[in-house]
Amino acid sequence: MLVFTLRRLSLFIFTMLLLTLVSFSVNFLFPGDSIINLTGAINATPNQLIGLNEAYQTNRNIFWQYIAYLGHIINGEFGLSMASQSDIATEVVKMLPATIELSLVALLIAMLIGIPLGFIAAIKHGKFTDSLILSVSMFGYSIPVFWLGLLAILTFSINLGWFPSAGQISLLFEIKLVTGIQFIDILLSDSPYKWQAFSDATAHIILPACVIALAPATIFIRLARTSMIEVLGTSYIRAASAKGLSFRQIIFRHAIRNALIQIIRHVGLQFANLVTIAMVTEVIFSWPGIGRWLIESIYQRDYTAIESGLLVLSCFIFIVHILTDFIYAALNPLARGNKYGA
Amino acid sequence: MARDKIYLEEIFPSPFMQLWQVFRKTPVAMLGGSCFVFLIVLAIFGPILAPYSPIEGQLDMLLLPPAWNNDGNVSYLLGTDELGRDMLSRLMYGTSLTFGLSFIVVIISLIIGVVIGSLSALTTGLKSSFLNHFLDVVLSIPSLLLAIIIVAILGPGIANTVWAVVLVLIPQFIHITRYAVKEESRKDYVLASKLDGASPFRILYYSIFPNITDRIMGQATLAQSAAILDIATLGFLGLGAQIPLPEWGATLANGLDLFYIAPWTVYLPGLAILFAVVATNLVGEGIRHALKVRKDR
Repeated sequence: MLVFTLRRLSLFIFTMLLLTLVSFSVNFLFPGDSIINLTGAINATPNQLIGLNEAYQTNRNIFWQYIAYLGHIINGEFGLSMASQSDIATEVVKMLPATIELSLVALLIAMLIGIPLGFIAAIKHGKFTDSLILSVSMFGYSIPVFWLGLLAILTFSINLGWFPSAGQISLLFEIKLVTGIQFIDILLSDSPYKWQAFSDATAHIILPACVIALAPATIFIRLARTSMIEVLGTSYIRAASAKGLSFRQIIFRHAIRNALIQIIRHVGLQFANLVTIAMVTEVIFSWPGIGRWLIESIYQRDYTAIESGLLVLSCFIFIVHILTDFIYAALNPLARGNKYGA
Repeated sequence: MARDKIYLEEIFPSPFMQLWQVFRKTPVAMLGGSCFVFLIVLAIFGPILAPYSPIEGQLDMLLLPPAWNNDGNVSYLLGTDELGRDMLSRLMYGTSLTFGLSFIVVIISLIIGVVIGSLSALTTGLKSSFLNHFLDVVLSIPSLLLAIIIVAILGPGIANTVWAVVLVLIPQFIHITRYAVKEESRKDYVLASKLDGASPFRILYYSIFPNITDRIMGQATLAQSAAILDIATLGFLGLGAQIPLPEWGATLANGLDLFYIAPWTVYLPGLAILFAVVATNLVGEGIRHALKVRKDR
């Protein structure tokens, strides 16, 4: 496990360096002065500019400039937004939890729906149920997410009126921002309307989360199906059925556990996919998350915000990636790399 | 007993022909394949076949519903949008933008990716390990996110979208080519031609490439469906095709304000995207199925 951890950590550091290098070099690709792109100080006086140039060491060579940039990033100084002149770090701290909340709920829905369906398809492998589930899943990942979001709003918000169509919570409720994750904040608040707020927030999250969850769910169906078919073909399952265990016992005690391990391995990669879908969905459902903020900064040509937003978002995706790798390695000794006698 | 053939001639179809023979016998794959061919034809000839201009509107024909509706007009089969532009013509022109461009994008990135991938498969050591790490990082970023990043750097526009999607798809082709070439070079037939004294490039060209075309084609269909969705999504977000262009995603975004009055301006482009992606995915499924059948044989 130690070797595995060290190897993952080196990959993590390598990737983080690469990502900061990319976001650093992006500043030179954007039009305009790189120091202003970097700090967002469009209204800076000449004296302030001298100070900024000194802080980012622009008179020294590119390597030292990068080191100075890294120092600022590690201290959490992302500069000011060019459009609103507000501090980007505080904006990100406000926006990122909303995205995390939405994508985690979507991931949960995707897994809860996708994995059992995939298992059912694998158990009925080659029969009608299998091909039905497979063809439905193919439609699922072919639907453009923005179209699905619009159809969902039209059907469930406008025609049926079941769920609200936009936002994170009704403006009537005043929830103090503590962790940024709405549900935890509601539970922490001492408002007398706590439970109304809670149910309102739930109603707001269901529709976007389901829209986001559809495509990943279909991929989970495929992953679950393949890994279950593989597990059902192994000799330990044959041994279990030779021992006289019932089909139900084999599936629930032996097959599901081993099939799940293979799926957990792919959760990280799927999560990255899911966050991208979430960015588009946030635009449609006016969800106050980092995806919508990022796309709006692209419209406004807010280079500082684009650069920092991308850095934060890709770091977030990569951290989740590494975390799922660790969970997978913790659950599956085979993945830790030291295969004796292999 | 009559013997039609005196000499027993054994025919070994090339891997590509073997693929086609299985593909031909799968009805669903053939359905997808014919839809795919239809879309390609439409992408090429759409601008000639379209009854009206996609940009000029008829001001007396605003927001006409499709022809099957009671208020519809049969000369505007799929209705018109808020500027009186014929939806059918817009969708036909859009085929060459969304579908045709995504096809070109896939071809370009396929060529670049296969060249880099097969060259990198020949290298070993530090360079190869660095490339591996680098590819791992790039491939863990989803294609749409990467495309949005590149468009953010280059600025909005259809040309920039195309370049962004090309750049995004290249690593996938590098990865699959590299992997496939490495896997094939371990096989005996490659060793045989190596013992015959063939140079690495000769082996690559005459021995390995014919055996990995099918796998690369399978990847190409995946890339194509991703490319269609990426181009349409960027168009929808206003980062891709700009206002008058009838790109499907942009057309859909254009109908957004009138969604509740004229839902067909949103339904139809969405259905077009869905149709194109499903057709592509069916072809992909067919290829993967054929590969599996060949492997099992």
